[in-house]
Amino acid sequence: MSRKLKRKKSLWYRIHQNEKVQSAETVLLPLLFGFLFMIMWQTQKLHTLLHTDTFTLPLPSRILTIIADNSDKIMLNVNATVIVTLAGLVAGSLIGYGIAVLAALFPKWGSCGLKIIAAFNAIPIVALAPVMTNWTKDVSNHADIRSMVAKIMVVTIVCIANMSINAYRGLTELKPFSEDLMCSYAASKRVTLIKLRLPNSVPYIFTALKVAVPSSVISALVSEYFAEYIVGVGRQIRENIVLAQYSSAWAYIVVACLIGIIMYAVLMIAQSFMLKKRA
Amino acid sequence: MSDVMEKIKTEDRTVEIKIRDLGMTFKDNNGNDMKALTGVNLDIYKGEFISLLGPSGCGKTTLLRMIADLLEPTDGSIHIDGRIPKEVRLMQKFGIVFQSAVLFDWRTVRKNIELPLETMKFNKAEREQRSSEMLEMVGLTKFADHYPVQLSGGMQQRVNIARALAIRPEILLMDEPFSALDEFTKEKLHKDLLQIWRKTNKTIIFVTHNISEAVFLSDRVCVLSPHPGRLSAVVDIDLPRPRTLEMRETQHFNELVLKVRNSFEGGSL
Amino acid sequence: MSIRKKITSKPWLPMLIWIIGIILVWEIAATIVSVTKRTPENVLPHLYQIFGQIFSTKAVSSGKTATMLVLDSASKTLFRAAIGFITGTVLGFVLALIMKISKLAEKTIFPYLMLIQMVPILGMAPIILSITGDINTSRIVIAAILTFYPVATNTLAGFNAVEREKYDLMYSYAASKYTIYKKVLIPYSIPYFFTGLKISAPMAITASILVDTLQGDGGLGSMLSQSLKHAMSIYVFWLIVFFSAFIGIFSSYFMGFLEKAVLPHKRKTKIKRKDDAV
Repeated sequence: MSRKLKRKKSLWYRIHQNEKVQSAETVLLPLLFGFLFMIMWQTQKLHTLLHTDTFTLPLPSRILTIIADNSDKIMLNVNATVIVTLAGLVAGSLIGYGIAVLAALFPKWGSCGLKIIAAFNAIPIVALAPVMTNWTKDVSNHADIRSMVAKIMVVTIVCIANMSINAYRGLTELKPFSEDLMCSYAASKRVTLIKLRLPNSVPYIFTALKVAVPSSVISALVSEYFAEYIVGVGRQIRENIVLAQYSSAWAYIVVACLIGIIMYAVLMIAQSFMLKKRA
Repeated sequence: MSDVMEKIKTEDRTVEIKIRDLGMTFKDNNGNDMKALTGVNLDIYKGEFISLLGPSGCGKTTLLRMIADLLEPTDGSIHIDGRIPKEVRLMQKFGIVFQSAVLFDWRTVRKNIELPLETMKFNKAEREQRSSEMLEMVGLTKFADHYPVQLSGGMQQRVNIARALAIRPEILLMDEPFSALDEFTKEKLHKDLLQIWRKTNKTIIFVTHNISEAVFLSDRVCVLSPHPGRLSAVVDIDLPRPRTLEMRETQHFNELVLKVRNSFEGGSL
Repeated sequence: MSIRKKITSKPWLPMLIWIIGIILVWEIAATIVSVTKRTPENVLPHLYQIFGQIFSTKAVSSGKTATMLVLDSASKTLFRAAIGFITGTVLGFVLALIMKISKLAEKTIFPYLMLIQMVPILGMAPIILSITGDINTSRIVIAAILTFYPVATNTLAGFNAVEREKYDLMYSYAASKYTIYKKVLIPYSIPYFFTGLKISAPMAITASILVDTLQGDGGLGSMLSQSLKHAMSIYVFWLIVFFSAFIGIFSSYFMGFLEKAVLPHKRKTKIKRKDDAV
């Protein structure tokens, strides 16, 4: 009997340990799941499940048609959102990294300052966006420019906290004794920073960006709600809902998802290039 | 008195673990066969302190894991009192001590020791009585309500041993338990371990890469050589018991260490 | 040790100086703004002007003082945020558990768990409102969705971080699968679970406030937009900004506090003891 049990187990084991089966499962299962979901959506099973209709939740085919038909207008709004997201992401990450370097050079005051910045991280964007709109009233006479500045500022603030906390960890959580080693070479603070701390922080920068990319897209969308000038994917979602044009709203939601996914994919590719040698 | 007991122990050599033609072959990343261990024949006696000694890659841990039923051998057989390791494991007769203490951070020292008793459905009173006994044995009674983070490495390893002994196993399997500790702590724990062994009469299988540790503790030292992993010699250690730290300074001890060292095949160590 | 050294070695001192510094910078900026801008209270009022609102007995809207108004709307918003947060927490934990139990489930769901991060849930707030048709339900739903994925991903990371030796140990005790989950996996994942909660608590609150702004029937977000449009004193706007910032920060700290309450070993500091034998 024990022999039988053993053989049964090894057959199961063999199937699941097979590398080809494993990698096929990794790709096929999610695809199958997504495919089923789309079928349920297209055949309106999903609507029954959510107690809604094709007006509020249009069919995928309809959403795709709308995206195709309005591509010019959609691209205009995508541009506005992407500019805000990227500008805020870059500015926030650079400032955040700068803060982290300062904090790493003066750890006594820096680590404490970072605690305060971490607390800022918990401030709702909803509270931040209108304040930024107020602050940028005198930046320009053109509503589109001052709105853009306000939105970029919101995204920047969201990214600063995230980057500075992660980068600080990257700059200070060094391999044991590596700091002592640099010390034994009589290396200056500057040399230790360049040769040891900065390279050590690279993987942490990517950790920060992996969080920052989705949250900067979302911050850009939400800050558009509070902006003066009506432009951007997020704002279009809202405007279309107000006008009860749900299909158009969904088209913008799909586009918003695509922006996030594409930016994330670019980040992952960049990471695999940058961290290739570190394995 | 104790010498008499030792004599009885060595004369009463009933074989407990029978290992025949044991081998383990892994698949490496390229799908090629890699022999981790091959052709091991060994009898382990009841109540014996036996060491598995060798450099990394010699398969000593693999051998221990196969005895513990943590790995299934690809060739040969292991029988423990006529049973296969799986049955013995299900009868809960193994106590295992790993190199890292593997303590559960969220449990106090006492609760860590009681963990195997909980999984074996002992009632609360029994658990407490056993854990108190074990705490006493490893000298940590004062630290019963401390958490692992509050203990030194040596103390954590004591908890680890206490936990392994709490279920009163018949066979204690130790995988390089002291290799992460400093020399002073190690010596203290060597003495304690031998004392516990004398008191409890367990069979101890002790994996190590430290020759003098193996010689000092064991009745027999199994020397394993790498590429492929194999048992190249079994050296009897006829140092008298109880062992004392002073014995390490004797001529005889050094001779035994040399004998073990010379029995490695391939010579390069 | 000199007195000066004694004071500067206190751990709270840098924190205190930072806070004083921030207040100073704010006040200096507010002073500059009050001279240069036409409507300084819109840009940067003095802190005393904002916090003066807390103690002001003057009614700002429908017979309520500013404090009453903020607390009233906060209770509406936060109650829904809390329900959504708890729902999302339970769902997230259960999903992580399912993914740990079944490798197939993990392979199927995990890519979507990553993908859901990219879906602008907050941007979808208006759609969810029109699907559910009820502002309270949509507050709960959105807060739950936002809570759900940090909890699920972090808890799963906790399950997957359990060392192999712990499994080996339980295996040698011939422990059942149920015992392994109960005694090893679930307790081990709790700190990771709390990491998820610390991230998602402020998010749930943000979500709830945002949903408020979509409709005019009370709640912090709705007061925020009303006061912004000068329906009432602009200081109420600032008070709400400060209050929601405080609640957001507090919610995250509260999760940390809960973690320490649940896990006694997290309260113990690591004692660097010399490795001497006892």
